[in-house]
Amino acid sequence: MEKNPLHETDSRKRLMMLMTRHQRQIFAYIYTLVPDRHDAEDLLQETSLVICEKFDDFTPGTDFVAWACQIAWWRIRYSRQKFARAKVVFDDEVFAAVARTAGEMAIELDERHEALAGCLKKLPARDRELVLTRYEPGSGVAEAARRSGRSMEAAYKALNRLRKLLHDCVTHQLTHPEAHA
Amino acid sequence: MNLTDREVLELNELCGAVVDGTLTDAQRARLAGWLGESEEARRFYVRALGQSASLHTYASELHAEAPDVSLPPVRFQNLQRLALWWGTVLSAAAALVLGLWFANRPTTVQAAPARELVARLTGSKNSQWATGSFRPGDRIEKNQKLELTAGLAEITFDSGARVVLEGPASLDVNSAWDGTLRRGTLKANVPPQAIGFRISNSAVEVVDLGTEFSMIADGKGAAEVLVLKGEVEAAPRGSDAGTILLRENEARRFAASGVSDVSDRQEKFQQLTQEPLLDRFAPAINYVHWSFDETTGDLLKADAAGQRLAANDARLSASAPAALAASHATGHRARALHFDGQLFARANYPGVSGSSPRTVAFWVKVPDGANTDAWMVSWGTNVKKLSSRPVQISWNRRPGEGSFGALRTDFGGGYAIGTHDLRDGQWHHVAVFFAAGDEAAAPVQVRQYVDGRLESSAITLTPGKSSNSPLTGDAATLDVVWLGCRLTGKQPERFRGELDELFIADRGLEPNEIVSLMNDNRLPVPTLAAVR
Repeated sequence: MEKNPLHETDSRKRLMMLMTRHQRQIFAYIYTLVPDRHDAEDLLQETSLVICEKFDDFTPGTDFVAWACQIAWWRIRYSRQKFARAKVVFDDEVFAAVARTAGEMAIELDERHEALAGCLKKLPARDRELVLTRYEPGSGVAEAARRSGRSMEAAYKALNRLRKLLHDCVTHQLTHPEAHA
Repeated sequence: MNLTDREVLELNELCGAVVDGTLTDAQRARLAGWLGESEEARRFYVRALGQSASLHTYASELHAEAPDVSLPPVRFQNLQRLALWWGTVLSAAAALVLGLWFANRPTTVQAAPARELVARLTGSKNSQWATGSFRPGDRIEKNQKLELTAGLAEITFDSGARVVLEGPASLDVNSAWDGTLRRGTLKANVPPQAIGFRISNSAVEVVDLGTEFSMIADGKGAAEVLVLKGEVEAAPRGSDAGTILLRENEARRFAASGVSDVSDRQEKFQQLTQEPLLDRFAPAINYVHWSFDETTGDLLKADAAGQRLAANDARLSASAPAALAASHATGHRARALHFDGQLFARANYPGVSGSSPRTVAFWVKVPDGANTDAWMVSWGTNVKKLSSRPVQISWNRRPGEGSFGALRTDFGGGYAIGTHDLRDGQWHHVAVFFAAGDEAAAPVQVRQYVDGRLESSAITLTPGKSSNSPLTGDAATLDVVWLGCRLTGKQPERFRGELDELFIADRGLEPNEIVSLMNDNRLPVPTLAAVR
């Protein structure tokens, strides 16, 4: 059957809108299972292509993120076979359990992402700089240590402390929104 | 099952190790066991990893700019293919969305190692050295080991931190921000712009939070830290004890056996508060200053310490009289020069094209979110080791080579890039020290300061990289300083933003001089070099 060109244009627009809105959530899901920025970005790229190919299978009005995360899950499973052993953090059973939990928490993670911006602003400038340098493209713990004048050991300690601080701040902000209004 | 506080802390550490790629096999087994059994642990893990994904996103957004088309990274080529493919399936806008996400990926730059000078001996008293001899004024290399057998020596790091070493003492100068005291007594004075300066040894690492402190290392693995002013973060090494915040008049002894009080601390504090009299290095200086305080016309007057220097006056070149009139804007101090992306200026500066060191300092305001027109100050050279290429100060437009929007200095054979994104519509004080070095073996030195704080002292060498064709026309003129335009490239590229209070000095300014220039718009009156 020939495709209706008008339907195809609408479909493209819808796909574009959904990808623009939810790309970050799909990345977060992938990163939770493949905690390496470059690998996660490669997988997001591959997942995006499959989403595009299969978009006709998506039922409008259903949960796009859940559908996209399913596609991502199969890409990740496929890629696990190619990864060097050192990159596979957990065995299949644990991995599947984490994936299930991550899939269920997509909305919460999105809320946490929004709240995190506020918590980052509350950090002292020196701490915020350390955290953001660590996560900057092309950077890492070594660069964050160098720029902040810390040793690697001190940088690891400080980062763990700050990640926990941010985690607690976000949790508090979501459970006590009135205190952060 | 609810996790206890202790379990949460351990899980947090394990999640950090996963993200940072430092997970040991034992930690992996511990974490896997936890995640396999506990839903609560899995939820914590997903939140922690999700948080790191978010931090990657936020940190990327701060750097989000499309890469320069001249970058050739493999990943980017793949992305171009992907973008093209998306372009046929979706729309150009959709391809752009994906492209922007991926454009933040790092690119690999092949950096050649370069010698780096990071500190200077600025004072001494009866100093004797185990090897060689140092005199006030001598520069100190990165990773240089100093063995002072007797006397006093003052070392000023390029970050602005100043350390007085009392012999016998042994200090490794690791970088402009970092030293290792192996034995002996050291007193550090750290001004606000050098906060983060660190002194360590095998027992403890001290990160300064803007203060004055002393460390006494016995050379056998123990060290005492005494805080004279402000506060420091002291992290015991080789133990699980956390970082200790030490405040004014507090002291601790750090050793393999643990952390304890300092015996005879009152006596030690008393000794340390006495300021030693040192023979200090007072380098000569000559400079030219342009205030840009004119309100009309194309002439920009030059001076030095209040004396007019008409030979160094600058001339503006604008496309139309209206542009010239609009070039005199409100400045950081009085008036400033407003560059519209077409206007530029030039000033004669005899000797600037040679190999002598220079410091160029000015205030700059770059529009928020600017993505073109980056070129602030340039001058041509006739220096062989720079392939007679110009030195050009701009903000970085190549995210693959460093922080986008950060201060950048290009020269024949390399570049230096800072960290702070200048494109925020605010005034920033910039100081760039550049020295080609007289001898072939001498390293090219570039130190960049933004708002008084050292941002970079390392350079990336690009040997063998094909340079552009030789400069022609006006751009080839030597001993001229150009404001607001690029001297290389096929298309004329200019600056958009504002410049104010330009100083060009004939030597490297000391960190305290840069801060003084920033705060008071003043340099010392020209003098001859002396030890006083």
